Amino acid sequence: MAKYTKIEFLTAVASTHVKDGENVFGGTGLPLLAALLAKETHAPHANLLSEAGFIDARPKNVPLSVADSRYYYGSSASIGLIETLGFILQAGRIDVGFLGAAQIDEYGNLNTTYIGPFDKPKVKLPGSGGGNDIASSAKRLIIIMTHDKRKFVKKLDYLTSPGHLEGPGSRKKWSLVGGGPSVVITDMCQFDFDPKTLKIRLMSVHPGVTVKDVLDNVMFDVIVPERVPTTKEPSQQQIDIMHRLDPHGIYLAKGGE
Amino acid sequence: MKFIVRPLEVILEEEHTLLQLSSRLMRRKAKIKGRLGPGPKKPHHLSERWQDLTESEIADKRITLEEAAKMVPDGSHLFWGGFGFQRAPIAFAHELVRQKKRDLTIYTCGSEVDLEIMVGTGVATHFDIAFTAIEALGLANNMRRRVAEGKAQVEDYSNLAMAMRFLGGALNVPFMPIRSMMGTDLVRLSRYRGDKKLKVIDCPFTGEKICLVPSAKPDFSVVHVQRVDQTGNAQIDGIVGEDLEGARCGKKLIVLAEELIDEAEVRSRPDQTKIPAMYVSHVVVAPFIAHPMMCHNYYDYDLEHLQNFHKMTKTEEGWQDYLDNFILGVENHYDYLNKVGWDHLMGLRAKKPWGY
Repeated sequence: MAKYTKIEFLTAVASTHVKDGENVFGGTGLPLLAALLAKETHAPHANLLSEAGFIDARPKNVPLSVADSRYYYGSSASIGLIETLGFILQAGRIDVGFLGAAQIDEYGNLNTTYIGPFDKPKVKLPGSGGGNDIASSAKRLIIIMTHDKRKFVKKLDYLTSPGHLEGPGSRKKWSLVGGGPSVVITDMCQFDFDPKTLKIRLMSVHPGVTVKDVLDNVMFDVIVPERVPTTKEPSQQQIDIMHRLDPHGIYLAKGGE
Repeated sequence: MKFIVRPLEVILEEEHTLLQLSSRLMRRKAKIKGRLGPGPKKPHHLSERWQDLTESEIADKRITLEEAAKMVPDGSHLFWGGFGFQRAPIAFAHELVRQKKRDLTIYTCGSEVDLEIMVGTGVATHFDIAFTAIEALGLANNMRRRVAEGKAQVEDYSNLAMAMRFLGGALNVPFMPIRSMMGTDLVRLSRYRGDKKLKVIDCPFTGEKICLVPSAKPDFSVVHVQRVDQTGNAQIDGIVGEDLEGARCGKKLIVLAEELIDEAEVRSRPDQTKIPAMYVSHVVVAPFIAHPMMCHNYYDYDLEHLQNFHKMTKTEEGWQDYLDNFILGVENHYDYLNKVGWDHLMGLRAKKPWGY
C-alpha cells in the first residue's frame, strides 16, 4: 500500500470527482493540484480554467495566484474576468467548481468572509472573490475543507456562497444557474447531499476513521446511511504524479493544512 | 565613438530625469503656443518629425509618479487595477503613502499587497471589493487588523459583481444585472452603501429574480500595464482581469507602464492596444511598478519579499517596521528599487517563453 500524507489523500480523492471533458475552475492550491492530477490520469480532456482569464490551462509549474503567469504558457486563451465569470460561468458553461471555506452548514452553504458578528467582525477572511459566482452558477460544486468541528456549524457567521440555501426549492427561488454542492471532501470523510432534503449525508470515511469520529466532529446532524464505505486510498502512481506536478512541495509540503 | 558601460540603475535614473524634463518642457510649450513649433532644444529621443504631427498626436501625457499621486485628493474614489499577483500598482500605493493621502475608497475585484499597504496606513478606509488575501500565502493581516479595530470598512461583493459594476460605469448606464449573490448575506447585509449596495428584483420581462448592482464611476482609474506610448495607447500582456472595464469607468485614467514605446510601434500592431489613448488622462513610465508582485513578460513575483511582507504584517510592530524601512524610509520609487537591490531585481526578470 502506498504511503501518503493527508494533503496527498485529499488531492487524490478530489481528483476522482473530475470527469473527462468537463470544464473546471481550478483556482490555486489543492483544488488546482486535484484538477491537474485528474488531467494526468482519468480525465485528460478536462478543460482547466482560472477566473482571471486563462482557458484550457496546462501549467508547467504550480501557480500561487489565479492570475499567476505560470498559468499563461500552454493555455489556449488568455482573456479576462468577464469572459470567465460572465460569458462562460454565468452562461452555464462550467461543469465543476472547487471551493474551500472557513465554515460550512448542513446545506453546504459556505462562509469565506467574516468570523464573528458582522457589526464587529473578529476576523476578516478573504471574502467571496469568485466563490459566490462559482457556487451560484457552476453545474456542481466540490467543497474541500480540513476537518475541524468549529468549521461544521449549525449557523454560519456569514453566508458568502450558496450551497442548497434552506433546502429544496430555494436555489430555484433565486433563479440560480448552477446545481449547488455535490460533495464535501475533508481529511476524515466524504459527504454528499441527500436528494430529498438536500442536507449533508455521510458518503465514505477515510481509512482509520469511524462514523463516530465524524459525528463527534460536526456541530449539526448528519444523515448516515446504513452502509458507509471506506474511501479508496491513493495509488503510488497518483502520488508520483502529484510530486511531479509540485516538485518543490509548494502545496504538498503543507501537510495537514 | 566610445561606449562606456554604465550600471543599469544609473541609466534608469537618467531616463527618469529626462522623462521629467521632456514632459515638463512639452507641456510648457503647449501652453505657450497651443501648437508646438520647433523648439530651441529638442529632447534628443523625441521624434524628429514632431513639427509635422497634429495636435492630438503630439499630446505627451507623461508625468512623474509623484505628480500623478499629487492629483488624488483625500477622500477620492479610485478604481484599482491588477488582479491577484498580476500587474498590481504597488509603486502608486507607495507614493500615496509617502504623500500622506487619507480616506480613499478603493474599487477592485481582488487586490492583495497594495490593499494591505493602503489599509495599513489609513490611506484607504473604504473598500468596495470582492477579495483580499495574499492568496496562497494566507490572510491579509493588515486588513484583518484594521477591520477588527473598526478603522476600515469593506462593502463585500463578488468578483463578477465588481467587474459588472465597472462595465456599467464604462457603458454609462446606472446598473447591471447579474445572477450571483442572491440568497446570501452579500444581498442581506451592507455597510456604508446601505440599501444602495444592490437590489434584487423580479425581472420585468421574464419574472425571474435578478440582482442589480450599481455602476461604479470613481474619480480615478489607476491601471498598470506593460507598455504605453506617450499619448497613452496601452498594451497589456497576459490576462486583463477586470482592467479593461475598470480603466474605462473612472472620470480620469492614470496609466502606469513598465516600458515606453513609440507611437509607430502602437500603429504597427493596433490589435495589441487594450486601452486606446482617448481614455487616458496621464501616463507614468517606471520600471518594477508591481514589485513584489509580478508583471507578465517583464518580471516574476518576489516570493522571498512577499513571504517576508506577509510575516511582518502579522503584528502591528512588524508592519510599522516594514513601512518605515521600505516605504517611508525611501525618497521615491527609484530609492525603493535601490533598497530592494538591482541584482535581486534583475534575478526576477521574465524568461522567454514563460513570461515569468
